[in-house]
Amino acid sequence: MSTNIIEIEHVSKRFGRVVALDDVSLTVKRGEVVVIIGPSGGGKSTLLRCINHLEAVDSGRIVVDGIPLTDAENIDKVRAEVGMVFQLFNLFPHVTALENITLAQRVVRKRSHQEAEDIAHELLARVGIPEKADAYPVQLSGGQQQRVAIARALAMQPKIMLFDEPTSALDPEMIKEVLDVMLDLAEEGMTMVVVSHEMGFVKAAAHRVALMCDGHIVEETTPKELFTAAKEERTKQFLSQILI
Amino acid sequence: MTTTDTSCQLDSAAPVQEDEAKPFWQRFDRWWLLFAAVVIMTAWLILARPDPYRRAFVFLQDGIRVTVSITMVSFLFILVAGLIGGLGRISKNPLINGISSIYVEVVRGIPLLVQLLFIYYASPIVLRGLGRRLLDIWPGFATRLIEIKLNPFAAAVLGLTVCYGAYMSEIFRAGIESIAKGQMEAARSLGMSYFQAMRHVILPQAVRVVLPPVGNEFIALLKDSSLVSVVAVADMTRRGREFMASTFLALETWLLVALLYLIMTLFFARVVAYLERETTFVH
Repeated sequence: MSTNIIEIEHVSKRFGRVVALDDVSLTVKRGEVVVIIGPSGGGKSTLLRCINHLEAVDSGRIVVDGIPLTDAENIDKVRAEVGMVFQLFNLFPHVTALENITLAQRVVRKRSHQEAEDIAHELLARVGIPEKADAYPVQLSGGQQQRVAIARALAMQPKIMLFDEPTSALDPEMIKEVLDVMLDLAEEGMTMVVVSHEMGFVKAAAHRVALMCDGHIVEETTPKELFTAAKEERTKQFLSQILI
Repeated sequence: MTTTDTSCQLDSAAPVQEDEAKPFWQRFDRWWLLFAAVVIMTAWLILARPDPYRRAFVFLQDGIRVTVSITMVSFLFILVAGLIGGLGRISKNPLINGISSIYVEVVRGIPLLVQLLFIYYASPIVLRGLGRRLLDIWPGFATRLIEIKLNPFAAAVLGLTVCYGAYMSEIFRAGIESIAKGQMEAARSLGMSYFQAMRHVILPQAVRVVLPPVGNEFIALLKDSSLVSVVAVADMTRRGREFMASTFLALETWLLVALLYLIMTLFFARVVAYLERETTFVH
């Protein structure tokens, strides 16, 4: 098995006339935490969404855990290995927190009710809200919803977790509870690709940081070098704007 | 948006009405009273003036059964047709999308009465013509086509299904499209197939959205089922015409028929309203 779990090679993607990704290449190693930062509209989310084929690429090649994203069958295989957490949580509002976590286990993994529920309770405890199993999403705070969403993704036992701005829709006091869960995951050795501007998370957990702008990866570096010795002018300019 | 302290307080001070806390008479759906009034009035007419109301009611009884059963049977087929049509309308496959879109556009543009007349009177001619052409190639099938006789009940159900299926397709399409895109994405990202995501995530939510318009369609269908009286189905309206023809009591006949339709529609309107209240996400 190769050490690279995600290989993105020369990927381009446009929405109408807007070029979202322009010949982007990025590799992620097993167990690595990569954070993608950059101004909005720079293509960060699009790149992330290409990894599990929520967006189809126009050209280029993406291989996840040795499976090239080509036909529908491969795409489903990749999706089963890749968990995704969204900015707006996207919990299923018509079922409880517990059922949010058990649904795909039963439908996709064909687990029994009992087995799926055991796993769900365990995961809810792990993200710190074991008492919220029977609550509906509307009854939960944003931070709690996002933690249920993380548990829902983890229930599929993914090899990779994708986070698409997981804290940007949250009130400040709820950001920490979500970041703590993410830090735990990183410590356990989960491969993570995170689109986020949480510099605290970058410092604490990221192995690598990529700055994206106008559909390009402008700079790829370590967190330490990002804050002390960024090479590109665009990176410095971006950092100066977010680190007030 | 202003971020002054006052606006903040106003927001948080917005009153929260707890439905559960209300006493019975406030939660009670007062439209049931209208329903009760119409039932009492009809019962009074039948009991107090048996001639002609009781006579008419007895005469109309099998018509009521036909009206109810034709509405129920058609509605089941309409739900299926609407679901297939609705999924077809949102399909990205150009062939499936094209066929369902043409179906909806064509059917919506022709009056139901004309469609019923066409299916009952004109389509056998088309089938017979087709049969004559097929006589040499496939004699068995062709003779069956030539000798075809449409059962009026089946023709009526077919006509109502084709017509209302098109309206229902549009309702289902709008209902499915009203569910946020992120729901499908979340389901797919968990490894569900398109149909698994539809079945377990999108449709259960869409059902709640489409329930009021679907209920309205049911009531409209109940009323429009009176049109099937033109294709030899002995529904309530046709039985009413027969009763009037033999007694010449126009006022009494049509008053009773109107009241009977009203009882049914008022009843189902309340049922729909009840279901609507019961299927909100959190009780």
